[in-house]
Amino acid sequence: MRGTKSLIDNIDWVTVGLYFILVLAGWLNIYAAVYNEEFESIFDTTQRYGKQLLWIGTAGIIATVILLIDERFFSTFGYLIYGFIIMLLVAVLLVGAATKGATSWFEIGGFKIQPSEFSKFATNLALAKYLSTLNIRMKDLKTKLIAAAILGLPAVLILMQNDTGSALVYGAFVLVLFREGLSGNFLLIGLITAFLFVITLVFQNDVYQLPFEVELTGGWMLIIALFIMMGLVFYLNRKKKQILLFSTVIFIACSGLVKSVDYVFNNILEPHQSKRINVMLGIESDPYGAGYNVNQSLIAIGSGGLTGKGYLKGTQTKYDFVPEQSTDFIFCTIGEEWGFLGSFVVVALFMSLLLRILFMCSRQRSDFARIYGYGVAAIFFFHFMINIGMTIGLAPVIGIPLPFFSYGGSSLWAFTILLFVFIKMDADRLEVL
Amino acid sequence: MTEIKKDIAWRIFIVYFAVCLFGLAIVAKALHIQLVEGADLKKKVQNRTLKDKSIDAVRGNIYSSNGSLLATSIPIYEVRFDPNADAITKDLFNEKVDTLAWSLSELFKDRSPASYRKELIEARKKGSRYHLIRRKIKYTELKQMKNFPLFRRGKYKGGFITIQQNKRERPFNSLAARTIGYERKDVTPVGLEGAYSKALSGIDGKRLMQKISGGVWMPVGDADEIEPEDGRDIYSTIDVNIQDVAENALMKQLETHQADHGTVVLMEVSTGAIRAIANLKRTSNGSYYEGYNYAIGESTEPGSTFKLPALIAALEDGYVDMGDIIDCGDGSKQYYDRTMYDSNYDKGGWGKITVQRILEVSSNIGMAEIITKSYSQNPQQFIDHLAKMNLRDQLGIEIAGEGKPYIKNASEDTWSGISLAWMAHGYELQMTPLQILTFYNAVANGGRMVKPKFVEKITKGRKVVEEIETIVLNPRICSKETIDKVKLALEGVVSNGTATNLKNADYKIAGKTGTAQIAIGGSYGSNKDSYKKKRQVSHQASFVGYFPADNPQYSCIVVINAPSRNVYYGNLVAGPIFKEVADKVYANSLEMHKELESQPFYANSAIPYSKNGNKADAEKVFKQLNIKVQSKAADNDWIMTSTLEKSVRLEPRSVKENLVPNVLGMGLRDAIFLLENQGLRVKINGAGMVKSQSITGGQRIVRGQEIQIELS
Repeated sequence: MRGTKSLIDNIDWVTVGLYFILVLAGWLNIYAAVYNEEFESIFDTTQRYGKQLLWIGTAGIIATVILLIDERFFSTFGYLIYGFIIMLLVAVLLVGAATKGATSWFEIGGFKIQPSEFSKFATNLALAKYLSTLNIRMKDLKTKLIAAAILGLPAVLILMQNDTGSALVYGAFVLVLFREGLSGNFLLIGLITAFLFVITLVFQNDVYQLPFEVELTGGWMLIIALFIMMGLVFYLNRKKKQILLFSTVIFIACSGLVKSVDYVFNNILEPHQSKRINVMLGIESDPYGAGYNVNQSLIAIGSGGLTGKGYLKGTQTKYDFVPEQSTDFIFCTIGEEWGFLGSFVVVALFMSLLLRILFMCSRQRSDFARIYGYGVAAIFFFHFMINIGMTIGLAPVIGIPLPFFSYGGSSLWAFTILLFVFIKMDADRLEVL
Repeated sequence: MTEIKKDIAWRIFIVYFAVCLFGLAIVAKALHIQLVEGADLKKKVQNRTLKDKSIDAVRGNIYSSNGSLLATSIPIYEVRFDPNADAITKDLFNEKVDTLAWSLSELFKDRSPASYRKELIEARKKGSRYHLIRRKIKYTELKQMKNFPLFRRGKYKGGFITIQQNKRERPFNSLAARTIGYERKDVTPVGLEGAYSKALSGIDGKRLMQKISGGVWMPVGDADEIEPEDGRDIYSTIDVNIQDVAENALMKQLETHQADHGTVVLMEVSTGAIRAIANLKRTSNGSYYEGYNYAIGESTEPGSTFKLPALIAALEDGYVDMGDIIDCGDGSKQYYDRTMYDSNYDKGGWGKITVQRILEVSSNIGMAEIITKSYSQNPQQFIDHLAKMNLRDQLGIEIAGEGKPYIKNASEDTWSGISLAWMAHGYELQMTPLQILTFYNAVANGGRMVKPKFVEKITKGRKVVEEIETIVLNPRICSKETIDKVKLALEGVVSNGTATNLKNADYKIAGKTGTAQIAIGGSYGSNKDSYKKKRQVSHQASFVGYFPADNPQYSCIVVINAPSRNVYYGNLVAGPIFKEVADKVYANSLEMHKELESQPFYANSAIPYSKNGNKADAEKVFKQLNIKVQSKAADNDWIMTSTLEKSVRLEPRSVKENLVPNVLGMGLRDAIFLLENQGLRVKINGAGMVKSQSITGGQRIVRGQEIQIELS
């Protein structure tokens, strides 16, 4: 059988190294974010930084165990693990503890465990297993539906826990499906929908004065613009008869979307959600309400300047101006204390990790490992993009952690498992026929 | 195959592209925030978060000469509630809101629990983070509130926010209120609080504070801190007991005569220390309060009390002597176009009397004759002599608002042929009661004029920072001989002059009455028309003097303005107040007493009789006298005593806020203290022990209500 030596040789040490640096940097930043002069030791386990060290230690053990488990364990038990996690997600709805409005925690003794963090890993595993089954083609409707069900089930359960942010993460798997052959049109439609949604929000309340004393609201202006565009498309392709039908359908769909934005925005989204989106788009300013976090976070990051205020010197950070700073808004500690250089290094580290994972994906021989790898990349990408995006005001505030940086055992363990299972698969890639 | 490969290749490319694009976007945005907006944001942080905050120094106390607290600062609190504190979950709030509302209602008793409950729930709903519960909360109430549900979890977990403020409190309420004074923002400071503001207020400290979330300021480090220096304490010269007697005597007399306002000042002869200074003014509803410091601020025509300085001038300049005979005529005398009257005009006037007698009976014509005869050739000499005795100068006391004395020069336009005659008996010039008193005090002090003194010492903790020395304004206002002569005449005023009603067997009083007319509407008084039409004229009755006459210890002035019951003579209106204050002082000052002959000793009763009253006082006395006490009143301040065979039993007497206290069997001092503290106005009849009270104990109090107590 394979020896330990070949395992050590085959492990992708670059990824492990990046992981190690990110976790260590994360720990130091949590220390800075909740720095408390009364408990100065970074090893003090009554404080978050001490606890984080415990999580890091246990995460190391978990990583080692994963590297020692046979790779086939994951492909074999993929569905089982998925089923188990789904059960946990149901159970947490029934007996879970509520924190900040979300019922997503199991409280066992003094510790809290968040199954939704682990469900990303399980869902990824199940999706990879399903899509790597022989004779599965992305073009089939059935395949799309089953894949959607695998993704949708945990997402819906997490939505029911009132944790919208974590549920949105499952949208990231669209990238995986795309790589595995999903038509680009889906991405395009998604992008156009999002674009129209945003455009409508920005313009719908404006009123335009047209000649002949006609007043039009932004919504109607958009529809007119769409109509002109449709006419243009039709004119340019006037020889193809189908285009007329096709562009009419698109026009009607888009007009419907524009007109329904208001409804979705006001009736389907929670008030705080629509407010956060408004704040992000600059439609509404609410520096002490919905925009408070972002505003404070921007001040923290901005006051860091090029080189930052220095480690443990951040005032915004130290005096708790930014709520959730050790968890969701950890990036502003980096920005304030390490400045642009620090932020750049962190972004570069994450980019390196992502590109490395994508690179590793492309060298996989087995479909299962490759799809799993893309899933890992998609999840990291989404977390990274949304979390940093919201701290610097590029994305609406969606409460999801920054991998390896945000305080929390569940999230650190879940990301560690997610990554190291892939490292293990990668290490064993040569043995796959 | 190549088709598929191509397809996969561009898909991978798109994924890579998306990842890199977003990475770039983040870097670009971070660059923008940190380098372009950075400077502005940095400023924002500073503005929002760092500030030098001043730390209030604690204002010093004002004590009476015997150490009673006259003014002090006590903390009061404003309580606010953050119903949306992070730690207050919906469940927790809903669970506790009922009991919290009930507790608040129970403590303040102003609104129902349901109304408080509604308020709290609405505050939470509105998203309030700083909801006002109540202002002006006392420390004892705050202590109770700290144990309320939710509140007991503290500031962050329970949203319980307290803000401390200092309130100036005068434990004796209105006692000497204007002299103790006050200092408030944007108002001219008054009294000692104003005069010694700098010493009292101390120096505020400074501390660099940083704002943290939730609007809370937190000190940064220890380095930039300047410790506040607390204010000094001030020991005033005022004696609370004498002050109390003075105020009560003044109040009683003002009420009797329905006078507009009045003042009493008691001064220690040798040092100038003001032991009591009371000022009362009638309000529209007929009660009296201390609203203006008349003694210091009101310059009026003094009337007959000014005859003393006028006479001293004439004596000193050698124009007359005490034995000279002056013709005062039939009680009226024409001076140019005006007629002067003596008080016994209707009885035919004084005729020919000695100079001394003129002062004793206060003959206006006599004084006018002396002065016009002496100075008609050189009126300015008279004015200059008055000036030499400091009568044209302000005293320069530290309390703001001293009235200016007005004595005109002979060269002035308003000077006329009758000026000398009228100035001789205290008209056509103005002085404040305190200035007149200072002059009489100088006479009592053998010619040495000292400045009135309101503060004895300034202390910091137990250390005396500054002893206030007595300031001598004029070491000798006139010769020793003249002093002795006028002193004799002043004694004569009481023994067989205008103030015989002040005569008593225990000690001798010397002084001078004054009955001035004050024209209403600006014209000078004492002309015939206004004298006849009494309704247009208001009077000012005064008495100024010193006691004991043979060894003066205290001087005192009483001025009553506009008594309205047809009695306006100084001896009748002002005299009794003087007497009452003097009696009290005399009774308390052992050094004034002649040695007593030994009293018969009553051996039969082993235990002396005791009155009901303050427990601490009673116990102290019993302990000093070695009398056994059986106390059943552990926690009460007030007790009833019953004398047993070999001991005294103390039983509790409860005193409750807003209920009329039962003062039966108590001494006057305790009774008045208790009743007035509850806001009652006390009328006293008799002396000794309280025998009955017009409102029985235990009834609800209406503020300002009058209660009569009979003593026997």
